[in-house]
Amino acid sequence: MYDFAKFREAVLTGDAAAAVSLTRQALDGGVEPVDLISQGISPAMNEVGRLFEEGEYFVPELLISARATKAVFEILRPLLAKKGVQSAGRIVLGTVQGDLHDIGKNLVAAMLEGGGFEVTDLGINVAPERFIAAARDTQAQIIGLSALLTTTMPAMKTAIDAFREAGIRGRVKVMIGGAPITRSYAESIGADGYGENAAVSVDLARQLIGA
Amino acid sequence: MKQEQWETLVAVIRGETLRPLPTGFIIDCPWLPNWAGHAILDYFTDDRAYLADNLKAIDAFPSTIFLPGFWSEYGMCTEPSAFGAVPVWEENEFPFAKKVIRAPADVERLEKPNPRKEGLLPFVIKRLQHLEPEIEKAGHKIRFAVARGPLNIASFLMGTTEFLTAIKTDPERMRQLLAIVTDFLVDWIAFQRECFPSIDGVLLLDDIVGFVSKRDFETFGLPYLKRAFDTDVTIKFFHNDAPCKVCAPFLPEIGVNFLNFGVQHTLNEMKDWTGGKVALLGNVPPRDVLADGSPEDVRRCVTDLLSAVEDRSRLILSCGGGMPPGAPTRNIETFIATASELTR
Repeated sequence: MYDFAKFREAVLTGDAAAAVSLTRQALDGGVEPVDLISQGISPAMNEVGRLFEEGEYFVPELLISARATKAVFEILRPLLAKKGVQSAGRIVLGTVQGDLHDIGKNLVAAMLEGGGFEVTDLGINVAPERFIAAARDTQAQIIGLSALLTTTMPAMKTAIDAFREAGIRGRVKVMIGGAPITRSYAESIGADGYGENAAVSVDLARQLIGA
Repeated sequence: MKQEQWETLVAVIRGETLRPLPTGFIIDCPWLPNWAGHAILDYFTDDRAYLADNLKAIDAFPSTIFLPGFWSEYGMCTEPSAFGAVPVWEENEFPFAKKVIRAPADVERLEKPNPRKEGLLPFVIKRLQHLEPEIEKAGHKIRFAVARGPLNIASFLMGTTEFLTAIKTDPERMRQLLAIVTDFLVDWIAFQRECFPSIDGVLLLDDIVGFVSKRDFETFGLPYLKRAFDTDVTIKFFHNDAPCKVCAPFLPEIGVNFLNFGVQHTLNEMKDWTGGKVALLGNVPPRDVLADGSPEDVRRCVTDLLSAVEDRSRLILSCGGGMPPGAPTRNIETFIATASELTR
């Protein structure tokens, strides 16, 4: 019987080396990749989110848990693809044009991957056309926009307007977040969802696509 | 900053309750040049535009205190440029600095810069020196040495994600990085004081401290901020508009006696957490109210803020953070008028 608690602890404490080693052990022992996600990564990242919400975890703790998760997913992703396992949903994510900050976006990407979503991370300073192209290529159900600066917030509206003009708005939901963003701002620019922090991103994405 | 404004600040910091309560705002790029009608790049490269924009704001709102007064800045590029970070300028965007540390091991090769000669720092100083006669002719003095704080500079040199990850994965090297940055900051503040003997305050801006736990703050924040602020000036002013709960109880120990914080916390909470020892500059929501609200929203918010605060000593009314981009004249006038009317 595989010790999922030990694996969850490695993710929770951000011990990437242990998480990778325990992943290999699990796979060698016949554990299914999908069970490692459902019984290991997802509950561990949910716990990370809870600890963050309760003020016990801070950004560095989130970052190292995310790093451990990412390392595990690098091993699991090809195995999941080979077995034809469906993800919880497909999301294209990026920091909007003109904004070079990535911390919030990276945290959201890690949380979503931990939640079983297939994330296409376009990085920083992403032009609307790149979001559109990636959403088409990956058949994304959600586009996530991040901004840290008040000066780059308007690029979110520009992007959403561009999605509408490109004719993809009807089939993708848009979720936004970032330090200066508020719920009222999200509503005012026509976003479908707003995440106050990375910890809520998985629930928000699930709500948006009805998963 | 005018002499009487400086005296007002000092009186508030010493605990006097003034009537009406003073108002004050941190103003800088990007609000200032755009409000005054200049592109950001012109503000940074044209001394006349820099002077004119500052004087225009002072003349437009004579009863408020603009903080820290005329100050040396090239945005977030100022200190990182001395470490070799390439500043990137767009016509009307806030400049940013490219990372210089690719991996924690690069810290081994990092040298402490010389603020007298390296990066943009001599330009910052010279611009102020060139303008000093006109600044003084207009009745103002340069009162503050200003710098980004140690964690903020470190995060610009490495990238915020990388820096905050490395304090967990490579803590020893991050302490080494912060020690080098802080040694440099001590020199940089001393150099500003040497160039402008009228300086009697230090302002450090560091919102990265808002993202770490108490334990990490004690390791990676407290000792370095303490050192950076360890200079003999009357006002030790700290700006952190990220969460402030963790660092607030340590501010008196660091020497900070004046704080601008964000909208995550109330004035009463901040007074409680700082033991009532730190004068507060805050905290109407800058974006939702001061920039995007109506004058009526501003009036309501200032009124609510005042009615909620139990102890009005050590308080200067402001927004929670610097003046937000796009804050219109009418809202700022309403803020100042409402504060004056309600605290007369």
